[in-house]
Amino acid sequence: MKALFRMKLTMPLILLIALPFVVQAQDARLQLGSLDHLAAKANEIVDVNVDERLMKVAVKLLSDKDADERDVKKLVDGLKGIYVKSFEFDSEGQYTAADIETIRTQLRGPGWTRLVNVMSKKDGNCEVYMLFNGDQVGGLAVLVAEEKELTVVNIVGPVDLDKLAKLEGQFGVPELGIEKTKKNDDEK
Amino acid sequence: MKDDYLWDKSGQPDPEIRKLEDILGTLRYQPKPLEIPVSRRRNYFPLIAIAASLLLALVAGGVWLRVRNQSAPPPPQEAKVVPTRPKIDDATPEPIRDKSKTTIAVKRPHHKSVPSALTKREREEGLAAKQQLMIALRLTTEKLSLIHRKTQGITPANQIKNQHRVG
Repeated sequence: MKALFRMKLTMPLILLIALPFVVQAQDARLQLGSLDHLAAKANEIVDVNVDERLMKVAVKLLSDKDADERDVKKLVDGLKGIYVKSFEFDSEGQYTAADIETIRTQLRGPGWTRLVNVMSKKDGNCEVYMLFNGDQVGGLAVLVAEEKELTVVNIVGPVDLDKLAKLEGQFGVPELGIEKTKKNDDEK
Repeated sequence: MKDDYLWDKSGQPDPEIRKLEDILGTLRYQPKPLEIPVSRRRNYFPLIAIAASLLLALVAGGVWLRVRNQSAPPPPQEAKVVPTRPKIDDATPEPIRDKSKTTIAVKRPHHKSVPSALTKREREEGLAAKQQLMIALRLTTEKLSLIHRKTQGITPANQIKNQHRVG
């Protein structure tokens, strides 16, 4: 009886402790720290960590007069963070399947939907995931695992893919062709 | 020998039964008031558990508030109320106004006043963040472009080959 009573009291306690972790699990933010050990092997590293606070400060510095910056401002306005980890290696086999699996495991969580999955033995795997909170987009994740390169992009917040597509061709980014196709269809 | 004694305690009892009665009789129920031990050890576990839960909730709340405040944007500046031009019928000519006042109203766009409000440290931090943001967006669109090409079945190598043939 005593043991049962103790259990009844302990259970809410455990739930209370576990609550922040449960809440975090529904967040679009991915834990990319597990990839940090690859930095030692990588030839080139891109590590971007822009949280909500930094994002707001950066947005203030984006000019409304410059067309490119205005587009970026529109895109990032309302976002809660952008996190990127990209490793470029000199040789193949520098990262393992387990490294990718740590990210994939998080993307199997509730709300995440895989939109694109390109699997190629030669060129590696590319995956695009989106987090949906009901009808709202809560985040985006891009996982590109090539022979000598591993890239994970994590955008937290209501990212607009149309606006993101509009950025193509800017800052030296190659054209995606999404908008062009649409326009061509409209013209027809 | 009659067994009446065993049923209703009448008649002569058997000596062995009597002996058994005497032995077991000491264990007979004897009504007496309930004695509660004075020095009983109190169980504090439920109280400790409740207190720990409350403490944890308070700590969690405190941490959450702290994180929230840290990530919250700096307090917004008081919006400057720019005197708006009174509505005038299109047909009526525009009345002559003080030119200096008009200039102030026009040359104070909201977005101009915000960067100047940033401190030097915030500005440096913002510029670094802006640079990071651009890198992140560049890489994101680059990777999305790569994925798009792959889904379309056009590999960069093929593109180069095609360009060669055309050129």
